Amino acid sequence: MERKIKILLSKLGLDVHNRGIITVAKYLKDAGMEVIYIGNALPKNIIGTAIQEAVDVIGVSSLGGAHQTLGSLLIDEARNEGMWEKTVFLIGGVFPPGDIEGLKKTGFDWVFTPGATRDEIVSIVEKLVSLKRKRANKV
Amino acid sequence: MNDKGKSTKEILSRETSGGKRQLLYNSDALRVIEEEFKQWQKAALTERDRKNWGEKTRTVLGSDIRKELLYTPLSNPNFDYLEDLGNPGQSPFTRGIHPNMYRGKKFTIRQLTGFGSPEQTNQRIKFMLDHGATGLNVLFDLPTIQMYDSDDPFSEGQVGMSGVSVDSVEDMDLIFKDIPLDEVTISIVTHYPSNTAILFPMFLVLAEERGIPWDRLKGSVQNDVTLEELVRSGSEYIPPKDCFRIQSDNIEFISSNLPKWNFITLNGYNLREFGTSPITEMAVAIANGIETIEEMIKRGYTVDSFASRIAFFWSIGNDFFEEVARLRAVRRLWYKIMKYRFKAKNQRSMWMRCHVQTSGVSLIQQEPLNNIVRSAYHALAAVLGGVQSLHVDSFDEAYSVPTEQAALLSLRTQQIIQDETGITDVADPLGGSFYIESLTNEFEKRILDEIDEIERKGGYVTAIETGMLYNKITGYFLDQQRDIENGKVKVVAYNAHKSDGEPPPIDVFRYPEGIEETQKKKVTKLRKRRDNHKVKRALSSLMEACRNGENIVPYCVECARVRCTEGELFKVFKEAYGMWRPPAIR
Repeated sequence: MERKIKILLSKLGLDVHNRGIITVAKYLKDAGMEVIYIGNALPKNIIGTAIQEAVDVIGVSSLGGAHQTLGSLLIDEARNEGMWEKTVFLIGGVFPPGDIEGLKKTGFDWVFTPGATRDEIVSIVEKLVSLKRKRANKV
Repeated sequence: MNDKGKSTKEILSRETSGGKRQLLYNSDALRVIEEEFKQWQKAALTERDRKNWGEKTRTVLGSDIRKELLYTPLSNPNFDYLEDLGNPGQSPFTRGIHPNMYRGKKFTIRQLTGFGSPEQTNQRIKFMLDHGATGLNVLFDLPTIQMYDSDDPFSEGQVGMSGVSVDSVEDMDLIFKDIPLDEVTISIVTHYPSNTAILFPMFLVLAEERGIPWDRLKGSVQNDVTLEELVRSGSEYIPPKDCFRIQSDNIEFISSNLPKWNFITLNGYNLREFGTSPITEMAVAIANGIETIEEMIKRGYTVDSFASRIAFFWSIGNDFFEEVARLRAVRRLWYKIMKYRFKAKNQRSMWMRCHVQTSGVSLIQQEPLNNIVRSAYHALAAVLGGVQSLHVDSFDEAYSVPTEQAALLSLRTQQIIQDETGITDVADPLGGSFYIESLTNEFEKRILDEIDEIERKGGYVTAIETGMLYNKITGYFLDQQRDIENGKVKVVAYNAHKSDGEPPPIDVFRYPEGIEETQKKKVTKLRKRRDNHKVKRALSSLMEACRNGENIVPYCVECARVRCTEGELFKVFKEAYGMWRPPAIR
């Protein structure tokens, strides 16, 4: 049997809006995943906790406008720690339309925007994790 | 609960029952109407309409009150005009707090303004005032709201976002450059008690340095525990009881020194936007109001010496008639609480005065121009509900803070209501509608029931500490999200009437660059330039006051005078009160 998916969720930086991430945490828990929600944290803390907890997925939420600056800091930190290739990176929130491509280029595996449904979120997480695991097994 | 262990609901039910009612409808007429009504139901309606008579409509952020197909005098047979409505400006103020309503004073057009550097916000403020805004509403950036300085590691990449950056008095000075502080009413959106205690003193010191006596200043702060401890997502929280103490310290200090300043805005708005029902929104705000008044009485103040400066802030969402009705309901309920529970004598103490903002969370990204229509309906409901001041959200807010063009459109929406629609000519124009009056009664009852539930679970502060309110609210929004995803709650162009094809590009606000560097440099220079002995002394006096239970605000004012920064004061709070883990991350 596949190992249970373990996911770390965090608000990125100081952003105050947390309804979305609380909802996502509930969806993923209900789908049988192990979810750790740590509230607000900086990229360094997020990556530190993720390494400690050996998670498969890091999901961050940003509705305050800092997605580009803090998003790239998060990915840089992950690359420095050598965990970017092994981990699925997700970001969700409110972004100007042009920024979505940019976030993907930065290194996020998926960008969720308002309106993403439960089914979409769960199936995308499952798909991305299984892709990463397959790739890791090949190496 | 009062000192005799009676809940607010028990007190109101005892005090408001038993009096003789002047019934508007006579019983003979009602009998005839009922007979005719039954026949009409049988003869004119289909089986399906009869079966679905009370339909549970589902709307974004709406209640689960069943709506009947038709309302008649039979819906509210005990209607007593004077007892239940009164004329405008008369108790129980259902029809509005002023006798001549908008003929006397139009609602204040108060649009939120704030982004980037203090200088940029100053320019946007002037732009809004030049185009007819009648009040100011200044919003701070994330680091300022969360109480970190621009050079704090936690602020990296976020300075000037979602609001204007403030570290010290000097930034305050730049925001209000050329703005006569004693001529406009200024709402300083210090959401939390903690940041009110830090930022408002900076505003006071600015006035002091410009030679303006504090008692001439008019405006408001938010100063609400709900925002700091229940709604906010943050990384560091002080315990709710200490936060409540700071809220009370702010009230005590402001009411003693600034008679024209609204020292608390009981905030339902952000709670509703976080995702709660129109009933819980009001119940929580009133429960805080009740506990706050009790605390002030404990501190030795009489209710009429301060209560007239309590203000409210509501979110107005999609369900048009619900929104009108509950504004009327909460006005009547607040009157009853003040009169019967707190024995207020001054009429002004019994006024539910409010600012409202149209619901931002009800706006969506798909086909953003539709949001203009949504916000206009929200605004219309607010005005029909008799509010004192209004902010209309901008259509592009599902993407970013508004562009100048979108902000102007919001302002124009308000001006069109005021000057073109004729709505402001008549006070409470929907009053007397069978539907509106029934719905008003239902909302009043349900809000009071939820206040009762909070009081029985230990009161407002306890209900936050234990997670009772958190669980109630997340329960509501998870249900609502499910109903949006399964299409029970309809959202046009999202889950209903979706259009195919690429949406046209939208012109979105971009934050100006380089703010963070400028703000960082400024605060570094300030730390070198100021008298750091004085800073140290002011901060340690503040620490002492936090620990010994004195009112902390005079010490915060002294900190502002000697140019302490916001983060330095928050650090004192964290050390003095310790940290609390909210239910979301337990």
